[in-house]
Amino acid sequence: MTGMDRRRRRLLLVVVALVVLFAAFILTHPRGFSVYVVTIWANQGVLLALAAIAQFFVVIVRGIDLSIGSIIALTNVAASYLVFGTPGEIAFGIVVVLALGVLCGFLNGLVVVFGRVEPIVATLATGAIYGGIALLWRPIPGGEIDDTLGDLLTYDVNGVPTSLIVLVVVLVAISIPLRRTRIGLSMLAVGSSEQSAFLTGIQVRVAKLVAYSLAGLFGALTALYIAFVTLTGDPAIGPAYTLNSIAAVVLGGVPLTGGVGAPLLAVLGALILKTISSLMFFTGIPPLAQSFFEGLVLAVAIGIGAIDALRSRSKLKVYE
Amino acid sequence: MKNLAKLALAAGAVLFATSAFAEDTFNPTCFVPAGSSKKVISYPKKDPPYKIAFVNGYAGNDWRTTAIQSAKAWAARPENKDKLAEFKVVSVGNDSAAQIAAIDNFIAAGYDGISIIAVNPSAFDAVIKRAERAGTVLVPFDNVLDTDKIVQINEDQHQLGAIKAEAVVDAIQKAKGKVEGKILEVSGLPGNSVDRDNHEGMRSVLDKYPGLSVVQVVGNWDAGTVQKVTADAIATQGPFDGVLVQEGTIGAINAMLNASHPMVPIGGDAGNGARMLISEHKIPGITAAQAPALSAMALTTIVTLLEGNKLPQTVFFPIPQKKNEELVSGTDFYPDLPKSYYTLTGFPGCDKPFTPDELLGQTAENN
Repeated sequence: MTGMDRRRRRLLLVVVALVVLFAAFILTHPRGFSVYVVTIWANQGVLLALAAIAQFFVVIVRGIDLSIGSIIALTNVAASYLVFGTPGEIAFGIVVVLALGVLCGFLNGLVVVFGRVEPIVATLATGAIYGGIALLWRPIPGGEIDDTLGDLLTYDVNGVPTSLIVLVVVLVAISIPLRRTRIGLSMLAVGSSEQSAFLTGIQVRVAKLVAYSLAGLFGALTALYIAFVTLTGDPAIGPAYTLNSIAAVVLGGVPLTGGVGAPLLAVLGALILKTISSLMFFTGIPPLAQSFFEGLVLAVAIGIGAIDALRSRSKLKVYE
Repeated sequence: MKNLAKLALAAGAVLFATSAFAEDTFNPTCFVPAGSSKKVISYPKKDPPYKIAFVNGYAGNDWRTTAIQSAKAWAARPENKDKLAEFKVVSVGNDSAAQIAAIDNFIAAGYDGISIIAVNPSAFDAVIKRAERAGTVLVPFDNVLDTDKIVQINEDQHQLGAIKAEAVVDAIQKAKGKVEGKILEVSGLPGNSVDRDNHEGMRSVLDKYPGLSVVQVVGNWDAGTVQKVTADAIATQGPFDGVLVQEGTIGAINAMLNASHPMVPIGGDAGNGARMLISEHKIPGITAAQAPALSAMALTTIVTLLEGNKLPQTVFFPIPQKKNEELVSGTDFYPDLPKSYYTLTGFPGCDKPFTPDELLGQTAENN
């Protein structure tokens, strides 16, 4: 079986799973298919989808980012101080928040690349620092976010949820450069085989630094969207996003071994995870069992990936 | 009772005539306006049956579990069941965005009322607007919100602390003929308003007596921690003439028993285990608590509003309490039930308290 086939089959599987789950959600929802219900669903999904994209960038260079939740918390707190006032102030605030995210991600990259610390340890440590700063900066939730902009980005345009439109734009904006630009291909090459990439003359360090910085950028983007939904800053918002972003990436079929995958898969994984959570409102599954179900879904997803690996005759084929 | 109602009515009428905001609200002996509550809120009357949901956040301790059980016990009572078309309970975890989405989903599904224990006091302004537009009655309780746009219900935490301190001071006065000595204060989880208000309530009473000195330790509202810190305090600073505990009183009594400390007056919470020990060892003082049955009163509040009644914007229910010497086995505490059972299952002047059978017949799971 060629790599292209497997990739197509995985994409098809993920899309079918999402469609089935979404249909089940709409059918069990008393209101049924309506702009309001789809918008709530989209807002929830997009929050995790953006976090999953952040995690995706680190995963493709064969890393993992345990600080992503803390970056989200820190930039969310920053947003609650900066994103209101005149349009100029708001724009400035958003730029600062995004820059702060990039800075956090870049620091992660520095620790991993130059400190030669395993990503899992490095980001655990930096995450504790970012989370600590967020708590010091705003010990209890509060602050202010411009609600006009919040409404604009969390409602709908002619029946289409604005958040979904934003997500599609973001996906297009990153998917094409990832496959068409030197730096995009470098990141995939580094994740696939760091030594080969180095021998080919690829700037491994730069590729990794860019990947971690992009993760920070998308962490900040997630934080901004959380701010637009909640209209507040919350230093405790992070933990759920770290694990769920990893779960989403895996569920979408992006291997944690790096080098392979598309942002679209991570996004679809995030939407599946959030749809499963939403299903629980009206089907009556106890919320105490929710993490059990998410764990189960995760195990199944990884299981499918493992079956693929077992089936291939040559192990090299898995990392095409 | 009739006289009381008449009196309340008369008082209401007088106030109505003299003041713009003191309109007569529904059952003011139960729905007591908080001192800071300046507004009266009402919604257009709707006919039953109603669709109601309880959107909880975190669900991982006894208090929350009992709150969920109380809500379900409320919905199972025949007088409430008849008014309900639909009743759902969900817990979303500590994620404010997820709690907003849950509330939105119930608004979208045409629910008439939603009660919440807010994950975050300031994240709900936008969803409050959407609820208002859809005509959904939103009632936060326990962890309330920074808003005056909707009715919120709770107990006065400052008063809760003061009640306990007053009872201990009275008991010391009775025993010694004067108020003096050393008090042990076991406070709660630091860094939140409930802990702060309870503490300040206690001190507002204690500070009036120059003969009293206070030793404060942090008990985190957890019986195990309370037992440890009480034991440490007895060993290093004891003996004490009175003990005040926010939550986890059973731990403090166990520590006193282990150290053969005299059974001095206690002002504490109303856990079943604490009341059992208090009764057994004849410890003077009082037990009073933030009752998990607030979850049921939130639902009563929703129905009261849906029926077109007026309520104060912030309601403080009368604090359920009982003096230690008046505790009766079988009605105030239950030797055959778990020690973690919450004995105070209703509010004076409000719905009748839940019996253990009503509560324990309910699971803590969603439906």
